[in-house]
Amino acid sequence: MNIFLHELRAYRKSTIIWTISLMVLVLFFMALFPSFTKDAEQVNELLKTLPEALRKAVGIEIGSFTSILGFYSYVFMYITLCGAIQAMMIGASILSKEVREKTVDFLLTKPVSRSTVIVSKLSAAFVSIAITSLFFVLWAYFIALYVRTDDFNEQAFFLLSFTLFFVQVMFLAIGVIASMLLPKLKSVLSISLGVVFAFFFIGMFGSTVGEASVRYITPFKYFDSMYIIKNSQYEWSYLIVGLMWVITALVASFFIYTKRDMDAV
Amino acid sequence: MNVIESNQLTKVYGKARGISNVTFSVREGEIFGFIGPNGAGKSTTIRTLLALIYPTSGSATIFGKDCIKHAPEIKKEIGYLPSEVFYYDNMKVIDLLKYSASFYKKDCTKRMKELADALNLDLSKKIDDLSLGNKKKVGIVQGLLHEPKLIILDEPTSGLDPLMQQKFFELLKEENKKGATILFSSHILSEVQKLCDRVAIIKEGEIVKVETMSALTENSYKKFRLETINEVSPDFFKLEGVTDITRKEKTLSFIYKGNINTIITKIAEIPLKNLWVEEPTLEEIFMHYYEKEE
Repeated sequence: MNIFLHELRAYRKSTIIWTISLMVLVLFFMALFPSFTKDAEQVNELLKTLPEALRKAVGIEIGSFTSILGFYSYVFMYITLCGAIQAMMIGASILSKEVREKTVDFLLTKPVSRSTVIVSKLSAAFVSIAITSLFFVLWAYFIALYVRTDDFNEQAFFLLSFTLFFVQVMFLAIGVIASMLLPKLKSVLSISLGVVFAFFFIGMFGSTVGEASVRYITPFKYFDSMYIIKNSQYEWSYLIVGLMWVITALVASFFIYTKRDMDAV
Repeated sequence: MNVIESNQLTKVYGKARGISNVTFSVREGEIFGFIGPNGAGKSTTIRTLLALIYPTSGSATIFGKDCIKHAPEIKKEIGYLPSEVFYYDNMKVIDLLKYSASFYKKDCTKRMKELADALNLDLSKKIDDLSLGNKKKVGIVQGLLHEPKLIILDEPTSGLDPLMQQKFFELLKEENKKGATILFSSHILSEVQKLCDRVAIIKEGEIVKVETMSALTENSYKKFRLETINEVSPDFFKLEGVTDITRKEKTLSFIYKGNINTIITKIAEIPLKNLWVEEPTLEEIFMHYYEKEE
């Protein structure tokens, strides 16, 4: 428990900054919504002039763009991008920073097992991103209530919004396993940005060519916003595959961490 | 009772470094020195005992329990101070120490304050702002605050000024008197000489010798230095027990181990100007071990 609290405190500042950034970002985008709906006709006309490939890549669907859920889902794509960076950075640093900052000798000569260490640290990382997601979703909901022009499907809204957390969990797991497979990891920021943007662009590319199998590759495409808005539910096959990836990555990390030699600095 | 028992402990790191078949034991209540130059395998042995790295073969027990299997339990009673201390930079000293104390299921506040006072450590500072010596003090306090039964020190004196070093040794002796066993690794022989009851000499990953400090320094070894009237060939003293013969013009010196009468008879054969017989320093004995092996 003490490790968990220590880690939570260590990530407090960055969690607050990320949460506030996401909140500001969604506020900024959603504030534009009223002006979009006012000129709905013109907006749709304008969007039609964009090449179809581009529209697909950035996730714009004509018609849906002027409804609050459609507009929100477009904005939300960039929110998950940022959330993914946050989660990947926590995941990649939570175990490796002790090695990099050489505090691992301190921690691992205390009367705790390595499994306690890794479980406590992962729990702290989960709680940090859960806090971010929770604050974001509630905030986004209030904004939506404020800027809406019509009633909207609140269940779909929440389902869509909480995919932030699921995408974050996947990137957290990717970050953790990356730091285990690359023990000499020097810069968490560069690898996090690199991996997250790579997946993001794979997702864009997949949408453009309409290749369904790409959806299993990138966490950004596990949750199709249009599907969620239409059906008010998740696509279970993706949710299960995603969960399996997360569990596999975390279990593998667990074994690597508990068996690893902590060499002298 | 033996507090530490290392049995054929081996760690293989590809081709270089590592330790092989390290066997020694540390008795309850003693201060055990572990000496050897840098890279000889002192840290590797200690890190294996602490389960920071896992042995390739062999095993070790601490308090009678396997040091890998029962690591978390054993560590309740171990205090460890590494040669280079690194702590969470953005924490205050007091917070770091409280975090450290939170791992032990007892109240360490009083002892923490005592130690900090004894070492003149300012608890309200940020670790980031501390000098190397002061960081070291944080290390000492966090290693001792839970009054461990076994204190493991890996080249602990680097970065401490002589005065603090003195203070630190006093603290260690105090803990030892209260019953703590100490494993002290160092490449500085004089500090081992000051503190330890027994020493293990380690070289290229293997234990060369385990001996009591008194056996190492007293009786058995003598350092002879003689100034002769005529030049004498070093070969003159080539006999059983004589090592490290060096000659500087008319001054000959060597280390002798054996029956004192034999050597005195030999010396009596040549005319002398002057003669010194001294206890060799540990340093000289140590070099002697190292050269003999080569």
